[in-house]
Amino acid sequence: MSPSVNYRFIEGRWLLTLVLLAAVAWSLFFVPWNSDVVHSGGAAAALEILRALFSPELSPSFLLVAVEASWKTISFAAAGITLAVAIGFPLGVVASGTLVSSPMKRWTSIAVVRLTLAVLRSVHELVWAWLLVLALGLSPIAAVLALGIPYGGILGRVFSEILNDVPEGPLRSLRSAGASELKVLAYGRLPMALPQMLSYAIYRFECGLRSAAILSFVGIAGLGYQVQLSLDDLLYSEVWTLLLFLVGLVVLVDVWSGLVRKSLTT
Amino acid sequence: MNGTSPESGLFRLDLASKTYGATPALAPLSLTIERGEAVAVVGPSGAGKTTLLHLLGGVIQPTDGEISLGGHLLADLSPGRELSRLVGVIHQQFDLVPQLSALHNVLAGHLGKWGLARSLVSLISPVDRDTARQALERVGLKDKLHERTFRLSGGEQQRVAIARLLVQDPDVIIADEPVASLDPARSRDLMGLLSGIVEESGKTLIASVHSAELVRAFFSRAVGLRSGGLVFDVPVEELTDDMLESVYELQGLEGEPVGQL
Amino acid sequence: MAPRIGVGKASLVGFAMLATASWAYILFGGDSGLADLFRTQTWREVWDFVRRLFGAGSPGTPALFDAQSWRTAAGLSVETLAMSVLAMVIAGVGALLTFIPASRNVAFGDLSSSRSPVSAAVFFVIRALYVFTRGVPELVWAMLIVFVLSPGIVPGAVALGIHNFGILGKLSSEVVEGLDHRPMRALRASGAGNFQMLAYGILPQALPQLLTYLLYRWEVVIRTSIVVGFVAAGGLGREFRLRMSWLHYDDVLLLLVCYLILVLAVDLASAGLRRLAR
Repeated sequence: MSPSVNYRFIEGRWLLTLVLLAAVAWSLFFVPWNSDVVHSGGAAAALEILRALFSPELSPSFLLVAVEASWKTISFAAAGITLAVAIGFPLGVVASGTLVSSPMKRWTSIAVVRLTLAVLRSVHELVWAWLLVLALGLSPIAAVLALGIPYGGILGRVFSEILNDVPEGPLRSLRSAGASELKVLAYGRLPMALPQMLSYAIYRFECGLRSAAILSFVGIAGLGYQVQLSLDDLLYSEVWTLLLFLVGLVVLVDVWSGLVRKSLTT
Repeated sequence: MNGTSPESGLFRLDLASKTYGATPALAPLSLTIERGEAVAVVGPSGAGKTTLLHLLGGVIQPTDGEISLGGHLLADLSPGRELSRLVGVIHQQFDLVPQLSALHNVLAGHLGKWGLARSLVSLISPVDRDTARQALERVGLKDKLHERTFRLSGGEQQRVAIARLLVQDPDVIIADEPVASLDPARSRDLMGLLSGIVEESGKTLIASVHSAELVRAFFSRAVGLRSGGLVFDVPVEELTDDMLESVYELQGLEGEPVGQL
Repeated sequence: MAPRIGVGKASLVGFAMLATASWAYILFGGDSGLADLFRTQTWREVWDFVRRLFGAGSPGTPALFDAQSWRTAAGLSVETLAMSVLAMVIAGVGALLTFIPASRNVAFGDLSSSRSPVSAAVFFVIRALYVFTRGVPELVWAMLIVFVLSPGIVPGAVALGIHNFGILGKLSSEVVEGLDHRPMRALRASGAGNFQMLAYGILPQALPQLLTYLLYRWEVVIRTSIVVGFVAAGGLGREFRLRMSWLHYDDVLLLLVCYLILVLAVDLASAGLRRLAR
């Protein structure tokens, strides 16, 4: 490697460090560095919250509430992710530009699809939820759409990248065997991209669980809604129970996704 | 076959050259290859072997000069159907889709002939399983029909690639270092297999190989390249060790890397 | 010979069942709201809402075209940006301090010369901390923290920081676990002690990757800042909530536009900084 490349590399690093330090210092200016930061009584509240962590609410009636809320949350997440795949997969294939041999041919449609995906995923699911609840009321469909739409945008973008990052060798060989771009997509790109796409979709499902939980903010049922109720009554023990259920769900899905990923690569 | 099918097996290069940007990969070269020949292309890395083979395979187009096959300009043949009927290419590795079964990888040889609908349907319910089975049997892998390709060894994968060529059934087979990642025993086996197939079906073979032993055993003609230029072009009986040495000799660091695909 | 059904395939079937059950529950378990999608009344309400976003029905110029409103919104955007940066500082510092003992190869002695029960215990504690902090959504952290810290951008930043600490910690420790052992074995062979191994072996490879992950997470954090600000009453989020409750939809539109601009700006900044890190 020529010396000039190394020099540029080091320069870049220094510039980066400078920028980061400046950003940190700048952000610290926004902190009101006085005792107002902490609530009067905030310390007491913190202690109580911490204590409640060690005695979560475990009565059967409340556990039932937690289980029901968990089911609602997980079903919204599962339905939402399937909708996201239904949106993201076709859009992702189009956006990757691998449907046609020369991207120039369909340049506008690829650009439009990419822009759409960008808008879909730029808006937080809670904002989508708020808009959808305004339009459709507090219905499960609003929850599923609020998850499916932004996640569809995310999946579409990632899927198109995966499709483009596929190894070139087998594709070139398929073309030599006489395949058109569409056949190359079906026989080469998709089979090679599928494991990664699946892996990412499962990861998104895990994120979706947490997102589903907080959809409560717009009044949709689920674990988050229950957390809000318990917080309103200052029943911290109940809050921790619910959070343990949530973390438990997340861990389950995490373990499951690890298993699937392992089986895909053997 | 419809209309005027190109008379195949007669390759002709007229001062064909390839340059990538400012880097010349292949100096203007004139060559004629007859039907049924088995031509070995030898030379060190960066000599332009892959460039030459890709030019012959229609994978890339020459910067200058012409290449014709059976009297038709290679550039005029449509890449999908027409070209794949005439020329098939096999590489050192990475020709196959690892996630597909050997069956599907082999059936991909039909992709030049099948329509889109049949191609897609075949992924779900394989069309023409028998041809694939016969091809795999011919290469000695009849048990591996449903095996996922990534589970096969390097040598077995190369055989599957050859089986795909059998299904594709082109008149010319172009092989870019097909045995470079195999050990000597398997190299011999594979070259034997390839050579046998080429002979029994009257195809033409053009391959780049590193081993002098393999060149002498399986080829009728040897072409030596170095730094993009032709050094010798002789029938294999006339190939001497001195000629090989002149091509492979190290002479300081010369103009490389040359654009290899 | 039929292909064997492995755990992976079986669990995918399991997920398919879960998804089917979910959709069944949503569509048929009571009022799904699906029918509403097809009623004209719904779309009329949506159209009315869109008009109100653009100022119909409220006095004066719509906020989108009012310079004063833009100035206020810009100030809030800057605050929100600061909140996101603060959050990344908290998450980044936290991850930096904990990711090495949380890596399997360090804790269980593949890399270090000793293998003690203490390091194993520390490993489990830190990993549990990561799982817990990232399992709880940022919003919920914010809801808890407002009981301790006064409303503003600080509780929001802390909530985002805690949640992302878990995420960054896990990712960074996985980077260390995935490091090539050979250069480090070579270092050990030339006599390097533990701290030298850290400085020469682990950090040079792990830090750039940690930075990249941090910058990627920043893009996510800025999107969540508006939502966290909702609860923690800071930045764009606070204003969003106020305007929503007062039904000042034209202000809401302006805030949404600023939000999109902010998101775009951070995406670009993150991409640029990531390129510098290469």
